Amino acid sequence: MSSEQNDYSEFMGKGKARERMFETEIPIGFFHSALLEPYRTRYFIEDEIVKDCEIEVDPAYRGIERMLQGMPVDKANIITERICGICSNGHLWSSVRTAETGLKIEIPRAAQAIRVLAEELERLHSHLLFIAHASEVLGHETFAYRSFLMREPVMQILYMISGNRVNYAIPVLGGVRPRTQIAEWKGKAILEAMDKLDANLRKFIERFLSDIMVMSRLSGVGVCDKQTAIKYHAVGPTARASGVDLDYRTKMPEYKDFDWDMVVLDEGDNAARIKTRALECLVSTRIARQAIEKAMGDSEVLNRNWQIGPMPVQHNYIEVPRGELYHSYGLDDQGKIGHYIVRTPTMTNLATMEVACVGDQLTDAVVTLATCDPCLTCCNRFVVVDEKGRERSMTVRDVRGGGS
Amino acid sequence: MKALARKRAIHVMLVYTGGCNGCDIEVAAAVYSPIHDLEQYNVMLTWNPREADILLVTGPVTKKIAPALKEIYDAIPEPKVVAAVGACAINGNVYKNLGGDLGPSSEIAGPVENIIPVHARVPGCPPRPEDIITAAAAAIKILSERSD
Repeated sequence: MSSEQNDYSEFMGKGKARERMFETEIPIGFFHSALLEPYRTRYFIEDEIVKDCEIEVDPAYRGIERMLQGMPVDKANIITERICGICSNGHLWSSVRTAETGLKIEIPRAAQAIRVLAEELERLHSHLLFIAHASEVLGHETFAYRSFLMREPVMQILYMISGNRVNYAIPVLGGVRPRTQIAEWKGKAILEAMDKLDANLRKFIERFLSDIMVMSRLSGVGVCDKQTAIKYHAVGPTARASGVDLDYRTKMPEYKDFDWDMVVLDEGDNAARIKTRALECLVSTRIARQAIEKAMGDSEVLNRNWQIGPMPVQHNYIEVPRGELYHSYGLDDQGKIGHYIVRTPTMTNLATMEVACVGDQLTDAVVTLATCDPCLTCCNRFVVVDEKGRERSMTVRDVRGGGS
Repeated sequence: MKALARKRAIHVMLVYTGGCNGCDIEVAAAVYSPIHDLEQYNVMLTWNPREADILLVTGPVTKKIAPALKEIYDAIPEPKVVAAVGACAINGNVYKNLGGDLGPSSEIAGPVENIIPVHARVPGCPPRPEDIITAAAAAIKILSERSD
């Protein structure tokens, strides 16, 4: 069985054959010093210029959707949170929200605000991590360390609220965990930290954007215009940097009472993608401040008045740091999950970048892939099964529609 | 002399084997972030197995990565110490132990000790940077004892 399972020869024959031969192929991965996570990129280059690129996102496949089949929601939440270690709150919120909309569970106002607060703090730390990672790929270690320095207070706030630095476990069915309610002293401490962070962020952004060396390396490289972004359905900051005004927060009822702006830039190059995320950090601190004001001192954060029951398949979208996150499942009579589907933003973002890096120098192509903020752990959850029952991992090519 | 030299420049290689990324980033934060700053103890993060002394493994080791992990372990020169960071690397965590109708994940070859010998374990989901620093300090001790 296993040897048959790994036999890809059939697909290789059928797949889109390379129309022409290229001078050199540079394969990178699964493990490589340029990659933080294992994935494989094949660059086809001619004279240092990337002519074609192919990404394979196999190795982190863990079969999470299959594991979730037939689990009670409460227990499943432990796993959905661990789909990703960066947007853990996003995954947990999304999975909880799916059941809540399906079963019509009411959420206290303060609980909604705390969920929004957690999501915005998560966006902050994710974007700062991205800036750190991108600067490191660029080779500018000072900016990377600066960014890590700004990120640490955010992590400490999350640690203070929830008791863990990565898996916060803040949303539960019917509200948030009672431990995470924002007491007066906590709220004040967070507001103070936000003020400091804001000042630091402004200084950092100004410094980053006025650095001639860094900007000359970034601007005009890896350009992804609006049509390409729409064609490959880029989401989140990657799409917004290409002029697509797509932000799921505009459609979420949780964000209705908040005053915030969407950051949309037109350039679509690497500089724009970094700039979008840097500016979104400022938006996030603004939303976080409002969320604290709404939640501070309110101890009613959990509604226990609900019953689990059968639920038809629900579709749920939220905006996580990297873009739209889709969770969907139904419940049977005993409240067990059936047909869990997760679709994460990296899938389409990476496919967009695969196109955007063509035509640049090889050194810039690596940066281009990093600027879509790839998160492969979320990405690897499904295998494609063909008519004969053989399994293989989904590749980015499947999403692009050009492959086998 | 060798021991002294080794004590002054420990190179840590971080291998991520298919977990959720949380431990990975905490290790990176422990080494890079100026607040924790593992580099002040002369511990450097490297991506080259040939110059590594300590191998930090995070994640539950998926079947596809297991051979690569073995290869990386073999490429590290003696003396070497392996530390399993996080619950996934120690016992497989949710991926190995939780599951619905179809049981837990069948894609996991781990935990790490099924594939390569493990000398130190850092528990937690994920472990805090403080714990990682403590573990690194302990690993340095093991390493310096072994090198004699």
